[in-house]
Amino acid sequence: MLSIKNLHASVEGNSILKGINLEVGAGEVHAIMGPNGSGKSTLASVLAGRDDYEITEGSVTYRGMDLLEMEPEIRAREGVFLAFQYPVEIPGVTNMYLLKAAINSVRKHQGLEELDAKDFLKLIKEKAAMVEMKQEFLYRSVNEGFSGGEKKRNEILQMALLEPFLSVLDETDSGLDIDALKIVAKGVNLLRSSERSMVLVTHYQRLLDYIVPDYVHVLAAGRIIRSGGKELAHELEAKGYGWIEDLAAA
Amino acid sequence: MNEIINHYVDQHTAAVANLAGNGIDWLCQQRQHGIDVFSETGFPGLREEDWRYTSLKPVTARLFQVNVDTPKSEIDMDGLLLDGLDSYRLVFIDGSFYPQHSVLPEENNASMVEALSGAISKHPQNVQQSMSDGVAMEHGFAALNIAFSSDGYVVQVSDNTRLDKPLEMIFISAGDNIAAQPRNTLKVGMHAQAVVIERYITVGEVSTLCNSTSKISLDEGARLDYYLIQTQKSSGYQVSTVEVEQDKDSWFGSRTITLGGALVRNNLTVSLNKTGAHCDMIGLYNISGKQHVDNHTNVVHNAPHCTSRELYKGVLDQRARAVFHGRIKVAQGAQKTDATQANNNLLLSSNAEIDTKPQLEIYADDVKCAHGATVGQIDETALFYLRSRGIDEKNARSLLTFAFVNDVLDEVQIAPLRAALEKVLADRLIEND
Repeated sequence: MLSIKNLHASVEGNSILKGINLEVGAGEVHAIMGPNGSGKSTLASVLAGRDDYEITEGSVTYRGMDLLEMEPEIRAREGVFLAFQYPVEIPGVTNMYLLKAAINSVRKHQGLEELDAKDFLKLIKEKAAMVEMKQEFLYRSVNEGFSGGEKKRNEILQMALLEPFLSVLDETDSGLDIDALKIVAKGVNLLRSSERSMVLVTHYQRLLDYIVPDYVHVLAAGRIIRSGGKELAHELEAKGYGWIEDLAAA
Repeated sequence: MNEIINHYVDQHTAAVANLAGNGIDWLCQQRQHGIDVFSETGFPGLREEDWRYTSLKPVTARLFQVNVDTPKSEIDMDGLLLDGLDSYRLVFIDGSFYPQHSVLPEENNASMVEALSGAISKHPQNVQQSMSDGVAMEHGFAALNIAFSSDGYVVQVSDNTRLDKPLEMIFISAGDNIAAQPRNTLKVGMHAQAVVIERYITVGEVSTLCNSTSKISLDEGARLDYYLIQTQKSSGYQVSTVEVEQDKDSWFGSRTITLGGALVRNNLTVSLNKTGAHCDMIGLYNISGKQHVDNHTNVVHNAPHCTSRELYKGVLDQRARAVFHGRIKVAQGAQKTDATQANNNLLLSSNAEIDTKPQLEIYADDVKCAHGATVGQIDETALFYLRSRGIDEKNARSLLTFAFVNDVLDEVQIAPLRAALEKVLADRLIEND
């Protein structure tokens, strides 16, 4: 599904990612954990195609394609989805408009017919129910005036609608209370399947109680310094990140 | 300049005996005063501070015929009405009232909704009362309007009355080289409420000038929602002068929306004369080609504890040019004034131009006044967000441009009007493959 080899990225001359190697197979859920400033969010943004970063070395292959050569919208249409850490407010564009434009651009790319208003409405109501989102939120401007939890739920709604092959969730748990976290996790778990993969970027182990990963990687100072099974997350929770940083510095 | 002044003075001399209400002393005096002021001042020039960013050459280079004796154009109203809007309607073509296209409320003692040309003989005393003072003749356009005042609307909403439908005033420019001079008067009584929509439209490929004035007064506790919708074509010139006087605890909301016109100049002055008055001034302009729109707003806080909020937003394309000049004056003694003003612009072309200028004059010491102006580009974070959802860059940009102005349409609370405006803006701004 996704193969990252020796990925280096920098922003304004500062090197942030210093040789990431990561293989994500179909159906797998990988958690990437690490202290603040380790490069977690940079990795997520680079995968989605944000152009604030300069790729200085390495490659990313997604379903046999060179991901780094693709425009962000093409990545989205090919099934890459980034759930933003800070979803953007867009006054003046209704959530419905965005969702409909998004699903139809993906469908068109895949050679499917665009959904008409009626079919779209049926589909979106079903998906909204899945993330327990009230319908009024569909008719409001994108994320405008939404609480932190509502914004994250809106991200998961978009993900549920677009049914991506590769989902990258950037700190989706940050700022969520436990109830909101459970709803978000439920939405994510419903999407798990043998053909969909997920990369969860998180600072805390808490999310992983609800979305159980197949693999856990620890990122520090721009490199993956340890990988293991889900029990690695518990170890991190117990010991903190101090020992990891020592390890990275060594 | 003299040639221009003489042209309009001659037109006045020839027309004045045929204007509606001729023989009514006070009105004749006002008209005479108007032409006297105009013949002294003429049209304003670039050297005057309030007009320095807007060249009136295209208007003054042409000798428009003022609307008397105009052959009556036949207009098909079907395409001009807003779908689903249930309103009382007064239609003026080239400045003259057309009863056959109009829908008036049933006459009763409570309120008066009339055209000046009819009301002047039907209700001379009422009309005299509300028209005793017109707009201030601070510039030649206002003076010229008063000089020719013979039609326009006269509305008086009685105390404690709420009109059951919006009043829709449609001003159609259809005759080539014609100058219309509608003079409007609107008075909202104590604790009364009204919604008024003035729409300005050009029909056909004609070069026209619409020079309107509206004198508005709100009594204690009154509320007025006032819409000025300008959809002139690229050969339509418009100067609109609106003056609002607000009494205690009254609420005035203006929505000035300009979607076209060769040259549009809006003068809006709101005076908050007694405590607790509030005004809400919202503006939106979207023009392209070589169109020019100039909004001059003037909020005068004359009394303590009044609030004003002002937001004008614009999107300019091609060689379009806009001017925003927002003056806020806080008079001595107008303590606890709370005034905000913002003017935000998006330029879609490097040839488009905006001149934006706040002007604060504060003579009281315990006041809050905030102002800001932006001339911006598309928000890159929002652009990436949309692209990451599969929307291509060109469409995402156009969608964000639409969103920038659509945001202001939330202030348009009449659904059929909002829908019509949203459609025009979406058709213009959103590109879909």
